Amino acid sequence: MKKTLLLWAIFAGLMCLLPLFASSGTLRVFIFANFLAIFAMSWDILSGYTGYISFGHPFLIGIAGYTTAMLTRHLGTPLFLSMPLAVLVTMAGGTLFFFPALRTRGTYFALVTLAFMEVTYGLMQVVKPSLTGGTRGLSGLPLLVTGAIPNYYLSFFVMFLIALGLWALTRSGLGTALSAIRMDEDAVKSAGLSTSKLKLFAFMLSALVAGIGGALYTHYLGSISPRGMFDINFLFTILIAALIGGEQSIVGPILGAYFLTFLLEYLRPYIPGAWRFLLYGVIALVVYYYAPKGLYSIFQAGANRFGKKTRRNGQYGQTT
Amino acid sequence: MIGIIIQGFLLSGLYALIAVGFTMIFSVGRVLNLAYGVYIMLGGYVYYVLAQVLSLPKIPSFLGAVLAGVAFGISTYLFLVRRLEDNPIAVEISTLILAVVMQAVIILVFSPAPRSMWPLVPGVIHLFGVTISKNIFLAMIVSWLVLGALLVFVHKTQLGRAIRAVSMDTKGSLISGIDSSKINIVTWALSGALGAIAGVFFATYTQLDPAMWVFPLIIAVAVVIVGGIGSIMGSLVAAHIVGFLETITTGVIAPELRGVFTLLLIIVILIIVPKGLLGREEI
Repeated sequence: MKKTLLLWAIFAGLMCLLPLFASSGTLRVFIFANFLAIFAMSWDILSGYTGYISFGHPFLIGIAGYTTAMLTRHLGTPLFLSMPLAVLVTMAGGTLFFFPALRTRGTYFALVTLAFMEVTYGLMQVVKPSLTGGTRGLSGLPLLVTGAIPNYYLSFFVMFLIALGLWALTRSGLGTALSAIRMDEDAVKSAGLSTSKLKLFAFMLSALVAGIGGALYTHYLGSISPRGMFDINFLFTILIAALIGGEQSIVGPILGAYFLTFLLEYLRPYIPGAWRFLLYGVIALVVYYYAPKGLYSIFQAGANRFGKKTRRNGQYGQTT
Repeated sequence: MIGIIIQGFLLSGLYALIAVGFTMIFSVGRVLNLAYGVYIMLGGYVYYVLAQVLSLPKIPSFLGAVLAGVAFGISTYLFLVRRLEDNPIAVEISTLILAVVMQAVIILVFSPAPRSMWPLVPGVIHLFGVTISKNIFLAMIVSWLVLGALLVFVHKTQLGRAIRAVSMDTKGSLISGIDSSKINIVTWALSGALGAIAGVFFATYTQLDPAMWVFPLIIAVAVVIVGGIGSIMGSLVAAHIVGFLETITTGVIAPELRGVFTLLLIIVILIIVPKGLLGREEI
């Protein structure tokens, strides 16, 4: 535990020094990676841990984004009010919509969430375009901070705090209970735990993180549109980041988000943009097929071999 | 009014054709194949290349599209689904990834721009004062013929009975000496063929574009959820419910709402009656 905390501290220290020797272009890549990491962690705490796969995370992120965008645009609400409100709306709205769906089994939950995302996309274009900006969305929104360096620090610290919080939480008994739901929900129920409460908790937490990420992301970009938000490709990127990195680990999705973002950035001169989703998908399928626990498990196995770890790994390799 | 009824029946015929291939896999393997929309897209694009780019006659082009569907269906099963079969969630995730990958492939080969496809048979006919295109009428006829042939196949032939046996009770059929792996391959091949046939008509009805797999998938999921699994007749009834819902929505309310009410139907049914509208055993 102590050793891992040290690793977190080293990670944070290195990331803080980064703006000293990285160009603002590189920092922008890191900013995107940080946001993707927030979204992927949000997905992981719900879907990775409880096994209720969400295909509708862009829906949650979109609620937060649109709430703060509309508040600032139409009511002139200052950001320090509109952003927390957006997070609350995401948690409340998300729970209202998704919680009934948590009664259905895993496979159907995925479908319901996917359907929610598509419905919102469809409705966005016809219902009250004066409010939501319709197909074109809203642009020219106020920015929280400007410039690459402040945005980098902001996105990194938010990502880091969320990661640390979720990491500590999932290493507690609560995390064990959540992953037990994935293995055998009925067994958890018969152990006297309320699976509904646990699932609701995981869901609210996921919505909280998605809400924070969504609100910040919207005021980083300064614009929001239905095609950019409620889109299968956006869902796909989040899902792939979490899967490649390794679901059910919190650290994995961060790894995955950085890996994906940088892979794309380094390959950009060699391959045109249209190849991106093809490449993402093929890598994800290969990783999913041969190492279902993702890059994190590969790193962990390597670290264990070199670090002469004598402690036996748990079933899911979560001893750190 | 009569226009909506006729349009509803025509569209429902097409939807039944779209859904039945998806239902078959769900009933035999108990997995949701989210790459099913790709078979439809593939059918459309292969027909487009053969008939419109290479100017081949219509029937060989059509057969080519069906073959492509069969090949892709079998490959999905052999190279992706077979290893994950006992984990329906893993199948769902990996087939969704496959669908997005195939969308990227189509964009790379054909560019993201939509293309329009010539109808299989041009012209219109008049029926009770309503003008309908011969093409969509043909789609309905083909749909009924295919569904009829499928019904005969699963009820009257040895192979068809084996497929039904596996869908009813996998273990039981295994004990009776049915090779479930072979049955799975046949089912996925059939599903690919049905998807491709539906795809040719769907593409002429709308247009070809790299995201065209999403809407038919929604229709197929809705039909499975409304109609329950394992029954071709159930799918047919459900396809008409969904088809009329869509016709009324786009015809009476607003064309932009295409798909929205079908999605709401999926959500409401899954949340309120998780067993499906027409009854379905627990998975």
